[in-house]
Amino acid sequence: MPISVPEPLIDIRGLEAGYGKIRVLHGIDLAIGPGEVVALLGPNGGGKTTLLRAVSGLLPWTGAVRFAGQDLRGWGPQETARAGLVHVIEGHRVFTQQSVTDNLLLAAYDLPRGERMARVEEALNFFPEIAEKRHQRGGALSGGQQQMLTVAQGLVRRPRLLMLDEPSAGLSPVLVDRVLAVVAKLRANGTAVLLVEQLIEKALAAADRVCALAQGRVVLQAATTEADLPRRLERAYFGRDHATALHA
Amino acid sequence: MPDTSQPTIHSDAPADIGWRVVLPKVLPLVALFIFAVLLPLTDNEYWALITTRAAIYWVLVAGLNLVVGYAGQLAIGYVALLTLGAYTTSVLAAGNVLPPLPTFVALAIAAVAGAVFGVVVGLPALRLRTFYFAMATLGFATIVTQVALAWEGVTGGGIGISGPEMPAPFNTAWGFLYLCLALAAMVTWATSNVAKSRFGRALIAVRDADVAAEANGISKPKLFVTIFLFSGAVAAVAGGLFASLQTYITPDAFTFELSLLFFIAVLIGGRGSILGPLIGTIILTILPEIAAPLAAWSTFLYAALLLIIVLAMPGGIAALLDFKNRKPLQSDRAIKPRPTLLGEILKRSGAGRPMTLKGIVLTFGGVRAIDGLDLNIQPGQVHGLIGPNGSGKTTTLNVISGYYAPQEGEVRLNSPLARGAPETRAGHGIARTFQTPRIVGEASVIDNVMIGGWIEGQSSFVETLMSLPRHRQDERSLEAAARLALRAVGLEELADVRADRLQHSELRFVEIARALMLKPAFLLLDEPAAGLATDEIERLGQLIKEISRQGTGVLLVEHHADLIFDICDEVTVLNLGRVLANGTPAEIRVHKEVISAYLGA
Amino acid sequence: MLASILASGLAVGAIYALIGITYNTMFATSRVMSFTAGQLGMLGGVFGSLFMLRLGWPPVIGLLASLGACALIGVVTEIVAVRPVLKSLEQHLYVLSTLALALMIQQVTAIEWSTEPQPFPKLFGIGSGVFDEKFWLPLVACGLTIAGLELLYRKTLVGRAFLAVAEDNFAARALGLPERNLRIASYALAGAIGGLAGFAGGQLLLAFFANGPLLNFYGFVPVALGGLGNNRGAVIGGLALGVFQQAANFLVGGIFSSVAVFVLFIVVLLAAPQGLFGAPAARRV
Repeated sequence: MPISVPEPLIDIRGLEAGYGKIRVLHGIDLAIGPGEVVALLGPNGGGKTTLLRAVSGLLPWTGAVRFAGQDLRGWGPQETARAGLVHVIEGHRVFTQQSVTDNLLLAAYDLPRGERMARVEEALNFFPEIAEKRHQRGGALSGGQQQMLTVAQGLVRRPRLLMLDEPSAGLSPVLVDRVLAVVAKLRANGTAVLLVEQLIEKALAAADRVCALAQGRVVLQAATTEADLPRRLERAYFGRDHATALHA
Repeated sequence: MPDTSQPTIHSDAPADIGWRVVLPKVLPLVALFIFAVLLPLTDNEYWALITTRAAIYWVLVAGLNLVVGYAGQLAIGYVALLTLGAYTTSVLAAGNVLPPLPTFVALAIAAVAGAVFGVVVGLPALRLRTFYFAMATLGFATIVTQVALAWEGVTGGGIGISGPEMPAPFNTAWGFLYLCLALAAMVTWATSNVAKSRFGRALIAVRDADVAAEANGISKPKLFVTIFLFSGAVAAVAGGLFASLQTYITPDAFTFELSLLFFIAVLIGGRGSILGPLIGTIILTILPEIAAPLAAWSTFLYAALLLIIVLAMPGGIAALLDFKNRKPLQSDRAIKPRPTLLGEILKRSGAGRPMTLKGIVLTFGGVRAIDGLDLNIQPGQVHGLIGPNGSGKTTTLNVISGYYAPQEGEVRLNSPLARGAPETRAGHGIARTFQTPRIVGEASVIDNVMIGGWIEGQSSFVETLMSLPRHRQDERSLEAAARLALRAVGLEELADVRADRLQHSELRFVEIARALMLKPAFLLLDEPAAGLATDEIERLGQLIKEISRQGTGVLLVEHHADLIFDICDEVTVLNLGRVLANGTPAEIRVHKEVISAYLGA
Repeated sequence: MLASILASGLAVGAIYALIGITYNTMFATSRVMSFTAGQLGMLGGVFGSLFMLRLGWPPVIGLLASLGACALIGVVTEIVAVRPVLKSLEQHLYVLSTLALALMIQQVTAIEWSTEPQPFPKLFGIGSGVFDEKFWLPLVACGLTIAGLELLYRKTLVGRAFLAVAEDNFAARALGLPERNLRIASYALAGAIGGLAGFAGGQLLLAFFANGPLLNFYGFVPVALGGLGNNRGAVIGGLALGVFQQAANFLVGGIFSSVAVFVLFIVVLLAAPQGLFGAPAARRV
């Protein structure tokens, strides 16, 4: 077989998913290459979180998803995480009653016993500010630190693709930059990242490519280097062209 | 395609059509009754005994059915009321306390006592949920038995007491059978009337969609007191008859197994049905008799049946008998609203006053979900409410509908509305829909819509029990109004289909039809377009716009920006619980801060 | 008299506390209150009597076999009555499925074992009067259980995973924790704890098929009053309930104590359901 085009790390085709009777995603196609950072944009209710949950196995889906050459059909979150497809859910949901170290050890649950602490240290290296608080309870951290802790939980797995759901929600601009700096570092290490991000400017700065979802469909995919992206995004959301303040 | 529908109310369906609907439902009941009435022909008193027992059990289960099957309350200790009725009747008839009373007088007093204690057992249901309530009724059953054991002077303690003797002609096996059958037929008729009334629909609404029930003005406490009074009274009457049948009662006769028989009979029969639990009662009464070797295992069989029902056949016997809802639905059906009918539904006189929110502050555990919100909603206009996630849109709707009581500020509609108190909003003409449709899946579409007309009903519970004229008038006008509302939203062909068979988008329109039943002065819509296809959104938009043109003020929370900008007269943008901007769609569309907050640009 | 009230009260209370912990252990990983909790307590006594008296096994083997059998019943509960209804939107179904399973267990016991209370053997023969082993065994069992659980939750990763699932099931799943296996394990653990309650209380309650519903109710009272999922509350509440009940038994008679416990249960729950349950009710709209 000729290896002309490198196979994408994850290849999502015709993905449909939803909650009960409500179908949220109507046929999503998206591919991400190794080491690529893709920002997932779109208005509320567009299906970004649902896409992440479906891919990581938290929600049932139909369609086709291949990750690192494997078919993900029927995989649960445990299997996907083990394969290196790691999902950091939104809302900095750490385990408040357990220490920072224990929170990270839980992420290392199915790693060999001897390796766990090393992985925890490795993840803490990305976030010196929570490494200092490793013995404190998760509930004692600030919102921003909790968010870092959840990202660190994801890093414990040494992901090949890290899916971050709104890691910057509710964070101060300084902390947002901290989290996005980690994304940049990961990219340098060859980790692919799928980043749900509300702040378009930040997303454009951090990502190689953007993918916009609206009403459960991909309405735009483009490299972040392309011109006039904000306006095109807006047009994609609303389905028609309006004169707006963005390019007035 | 021309819309040929005429804006006329199909007032009274021709009588023969009514019969064609009613007959299949009534026929099995009548057949069972005739079968029982003809039993004396067998001249077998053993079967008279079994049938009498089944009839007595059914008198209790029919009432319990309203509690368990309709209201969905897990009352597993109802044998307590049987015990209470049995002892009250026996003690009064025997004259242990007062001079001996005639049996029927004793039975009537027992009914009153049963009604009172029915409320005592039942009222914790207002505060306690599922397992807690089940445990509370179980505890009550234990207590009643222990009191019967300990109160020797009155109840005879462990030795027991004679059951009441029936006067002639009910003092023979066959005479007593006919008495019990007559009572069984009466409670069947009465509970059927309740089931097919606004009370029955309110009960299942409380069971499966309690939030929507409140929004439609249904007061759960009042409703539950009524139902517990009734079911407590019939359970105690059943107890008196039971004591008479046993001729001698001791506390041992009232086992927890008996309680479970009643409870399981309802569930095997199927929730929200009268015929199903009746069949369930008959099966559970007869099963140990026709399979004598199995008698020891009867409780095991009841329990196994219950497990099978829960895991494999949640609808029970009633679902097995529901042939109508097995017919496949047309798969390529489309919702075609007829906004022209709205004028007839929303006949409101003159323009109303605006609704105003002033200085609303609502905090959840220190977080200000709404932070000093002012809002003006004009009658006859569509008012859009947009903003990023967590900006307080749905929370605002919930403050208006009274689910949340704000710490500061007020909602005014002529006068300030009561804080909290969601069940008062329907009376002010405020209707709403929900982000996830709150629909009773097991009820038909038209029943769901008729729930919206709760406050229009005039008939009292007693009138309903006996199907007096006001009850029948209520039913006729509610049904006509509901069919009209369904025609307006374009779902009249699905009126008699069970609601859980509908698609998600159709449920959204069912909710709107239900809201229209109120002839709302204000309609609150919470993301009505979510999950709808593009063409459906367009029709929804027209429908909403037309509703507002009839004078109704619409408050629309929505993520679909195109819908908002298309149909709104005014748009308010929220961010972090505060108003970020307010204006016409055109103004909002070019508002710099709005775009950065809403689109994240 | 005070001594015997205390001895029997604390012993019975320790059994209630253990049943309360059984409820909590199942609840933690599944948010389900199971009617089988009381039946497990009943079975602990029946299995103990069966293995040691009827089959003549030595106490240590009898204990291990009883706990193992009860753990198995716990797993069966999870598979038969809990897992199938967890996905359902209707949250009351577990009440019915666990009730059905509990009844089946009770009926099989009544038919295959006995409908009369059967004796339970002495294990050590140490102590007499208020220091009889039948009084202190349940207390020791309760103490050991609490110490064991503390060790599990604080010192082992599996224990922390239990706590994680209990605190935030969704986040735990997203993290890749084996949520289903943890749930099965917690049901096995709960089964063993319930079995231990019945085994340790065997000489007090005897091996009697009808103990189940009573243990269900009196084990639930401290859980409901002390806070769902809170083992400390269950222990304190259970011991207090036991002493109160025995005191009332001795002083004014058993009926009064049952009525009083019931009234207390209802009144407290009605007055402050949230306050005593811990977290307020979830958002409904």
